[in-house]
Amino acid sequence: MAGHLNPEPDLALRDEPTSAPALTAIVAGFLSLGTVPTSVEGQNRLVDPSAMVAQPVVDSVPHEFYFTRAMYSDIRARFPSWSVDYPKADRQFLIGLRQLTNIDASGAEHPIRLDDPALREFPVLYAVEVGYMSLTEAERRGLRDYLLAGGFLVVDDFWGTWEWLNFERQIRTVLPEYAIVDIPLDHPLLHVFYDIDEIVQVPNVGQGRSGGPTWEKDGYIPAFRGIMNEEGRILVAIVWNSDLGDAWEWAEDPFYPLRFSNFAYQLGVNLMVYAMSH
Amino acid sequence: MPESLFTFLFKYRPIVFERGRLVFETSRPIVLLLAALAVVLVLGTVYLRQRARVGGSTVAVLTAIRTMVVALVVLALFRPALTISTVVPGENFLAILIDDSRSMRLAGGESVTRGAQALEAFTSGSSELLAGLQERFTIRYYQFSDITSRMDPSHPPTFSGRATDIGAALDYVRQDLTGVPLAGLVLVTDGADNADSALTDPLLQIKSRGIPVYTVGLGEESFRRDIEVTRVEAPAQVLRGSAFAVDVMLQQHGYGGRTVTLIVEEEGTIATTKTVEFRRGQAGTTVRVNLTAETAGPRGYRFYIEPLADERVRENNARDILVSVSDGRQKILYFEGEPRWEVKFLRKAVADDENIQVVVLQRTAENKYLRLGVDDALELTRGFPTTREELFAYRGLILGSVEASYFSHNQLQIIEEFVGQRGGGLLFLGGRASFAEGGYAGTPLETVLPVVLEDAMPDEPAFLAEVQVSPTPSGMAHAAIQLAPTLEASTERWNTLPPLTTPNPIHRVKPGATVLLTGAPLNGDDELVVLASHHYGRGRVIAFTAQDSWLWQMHADMPLEDMTHERLWRQMTRWLVSTVPDRVTVETSKNRLSPGEPVIIRAEIQDSSYLGINGATVTATITDPTGAETSVPLEWTVEEDGEYQTVFLPTQRGTYLIRVEAEHAGHSLGSDDTEIRTAYMPTEFFGAEMNAPLLRRIADETGGRFYTASTMAGLAEDARFTESGKTVVEIYELWDMPAILILTLGLIGAEWGLRRRRGLA
Repeated sequence: MAGHLNPEPDLALRDEPTSAPALTAIVAGFLSLGTVPTSVEGQNRLVDPSAMVAQPVVDSVPHEFYFTRAMYSDIRARFPSWSVDYPKADRQFLIGLRQLTNIDASGAEHPIRLDDPALREFPVLYAVEVGYMSLTEAERRGLRDYLLAGGFLVVDDFWGTWEWLNFERQIRTVLPEYAIVDIPLDHPLLHVFYDIDEIVQVPNVGQGRSGGPTWEKDGYIPAFRGIMNEEGRILVAIVWNSDLGDAWEWAEDPFYPLRFSNFAYQLGVNLMVYAMSH
Repeated sequence: MPESLFTFLFKYRPIVFERGRLVFETSRPIVLLLAALAVVLVLGTVYLRQRARVGGSTVAVLTAIRTMVVALVVLALFRPALTISTVVPGENFLAILIDDSRSMRLAGGESVTRGAQALEAFTSGSSELLAGLQERFTIRYYQFSDITSRMDPSHPPTFSGRATDIGAALDYVRQDLTGVPLAGLVLVTDGADNADSALTDPLLQIKSRGIPVYTVGLGEESFRRDIEVTRVEAPAQVLRGSAFAVDVMLQQHGYGGRTVTLIVEEEGTIATTKTVEFRRGQAGTTVRVNLTAETAGPRGYRFYIEPLADERVRENNARDILVSVSDGRQKILYFEGEPRWEVKFLRKAVADDENIQVVVLQRTAENKYLRLGVDDALELTRGFPTTREELFAYRGLILGSVEASYFSHNQLQIIEEFVGQRGGGLLFLGGRASFAEGGYAGTPLETVLPVVLEDAMPDEPAFLAEVQVSPTPSGMAHAAIQLAPTLEASTERWNTLPPLTTPNPIHRVKPGATVLLTGAPLNGDDELVVLASHHYGRGRVIAFTAQDSWLWQMHADMPLEDMTHERLWRQMTRWLVSTVPDRVTVETSKNRLSPGEPVIIRAEIQDSSYLGINGATVTATITDPTGAETSVPLEWTVEEDGEYQTVFLPTQRGTYLIRVEAEHAGHSLGSDDTEIRTAYMPTEFFGAEMNAPLLRRIADETGGRFYTASTMAGLAEDARFTESGKTVVEIYELWDMPAILILTLGLIGAEWGLRRRRGLA
């Protein structure tokens, strides 16, 4: 059976679409959700029990869309970089995506290795903390084939010059022929669903809650960049010096500023709708 | 029965019996009948006395034989005769029409051409046939091919006519000899008529004047060894870059089991070749050739088979066609009810295609739409079109996963009219809200679909089948789904493609629909329809039930350089709009013809709702091969709304460009272009066998007779018997026919033999 029909792991949230498709309603909805400890076999070490919003369930109905998180090799010793904010950010983003759009999206998180041949059956891919990325040859080849075949990669949550340089070095080994360019504010991606006129710096949960500075390390200025092919198709969308994942993950937190979550959802939805149409 | 035997037995040629009326010349029929009856009674009585000796059955047989003998004698005494109308010698005209076309140069007999045979029989001073005719008639000669004229027998025809129009020839002669006593027409030809005009009208005219046509067929009815490219069927117009299929029909005699090569040339360069094996016992073979139109403009293709050494006719081994390759941009509206990967990958597949513009209207949320590929900021701002004008501006419509209840009844109706009236192409894609699952059963679009919708079961879990897609025999030959240059490579590619899924359980198609792709479910369930099409009204409707053809781009088994997905969608979208008419469309009755051959230019003019306009000013601007322009007005045909036509006579060799422009109430309605190419065509060598059925039909319908080279000697005698011209009635006695005498003697002999065996003689 084709991988996209039966993605592993089969995890999903018991979420019901709300009748109000407004972003604020979704974020307010999270406030009423309790945190439920959970244990997913084989993923215990990745899951912060306090980060769960609902019991995962097996969703046997195939969907058109899976929010696929890239599992990649890195230079960190204590925990894998790819798993930061996983799976709560993914789940909460999917709740918003399903309510705000009529994308037939699976409610479950969906991680996949870059060297897995089934990767190509999931044409959108989300990667975080890519500042610590250290791709193996097989991952590099898998990602390159994926992007050239028609896949779309969104990278998020990496900060400052050092992490940029590391990511840039890694991605250049994947797509040496294409330059990284700034995506201008009038680019269709920023207007495909919501009209986004400003790239907001989305802080991590700690700094967001405390009302502290929004930047980390020396990443003072948020950037929205991309790698495009000859036809102008964006292969990689780069959200640098910003943390959309945390804004999704903590959207229900009353102390995390709504305007950051709002922006993160808007950009996230635009990225997905763009990926599915361009 | 051979005619000579018939004439010996019955005294006269068969035509006398065909034309004559039977009469009896005796003055005392009653007396004769009574006498005969008396003789029979006497004989019967005599034989009955012998019953005890020879038995009842022998007596019955002997009585019967003797009765028949008496009947024959009585018949002769009745003096039967035929009355028949015959010409008055020397006072009637007979027209001899000799075929002057090129096919008469072909061999008619072992070593003589058909033309020479005709001249020898009908113009030579040594011809007995001609002498016989001249005794009875004043002869008028005519020669005919595509034109007919009087002929001076001292300047015989050269057999160089490039076509044969028998109907026109009959008409010409009939009119030319109006007012003279015309006893009949003699049509000397091979019958290889290749004119477009029907024969029915000229024959009716001849028949109404009672003029018999004697047809003389020259040549063989079937060549012993010959190959002919009988027909080539190709679209007259294709879009640049499109693959299109051409059916080449071949006919062979005497080459069963041989393998030959069909060569296809495009403007003098070999485009492709195809090996053809002629099956034994099968004269006709159809070969499908897939071609791609890479260059815009008129493109000439030649299909030929190198003549074999012992072929009877070499000139019929090639056929030329002209294909008009247009370079316009075809606008297709793709409406998708939800964000789906098909949108992204279909757009990507056709992105480089300069001739296809896919405008996407995608519902991304309730009442929120994404428009892609639109021409201006106003296009589709109100969602899916609600008026005919708005929808009819597109040539193709793709409906993705969008439920029927999304549309108003009016919108469903105009989609139906988009296909049926406007002639647009409609493609339904598989999806969770498509077909029956989208609630289309019972809507106006159900009638449009080529597939049968199966009831969606609300209580059952959603259907989903993973299927291995493969082409049907019809699909294998279809240009839209060819994945490789050759049939074998294409089939091989189909067999290795990864499976797709469909949420729409469709197993059947409507009558008249063609299934091109089927899907074998991996779980072994019944085969599903994946791609089917049919014509609905003026348009074409295609159902593609898979929901994730994008996997043929993204699956790990698909190499990056593989172009299957791109190729398939480019071909499918082009197929969708390949025959969609514009508001102004022009076509010609033929596009390859000989100089001097008239061509009908026909245009259809429609308003923005695609309803025919009758009061338009329609002009054809024709550019001849030298670049000179001529303007010709087209007139409304009256028979059909919006249909205009004119006749044009190209006189030069080369390509004529025809642009038709239409105006109505001071506004331009648009224009359309087409081309014709003129060259001297070897039309005469196609279907060049002697067409005996046609010649028989002409003779039968007019009261004439059909002859071949071996039977035409009787023509001079037969032509006498006609009611046309100045005639007298002649009486032909039958009582002394040898047949009566022979039969009488035979019966008497038989009776004598029987009596001898029974001891009565």
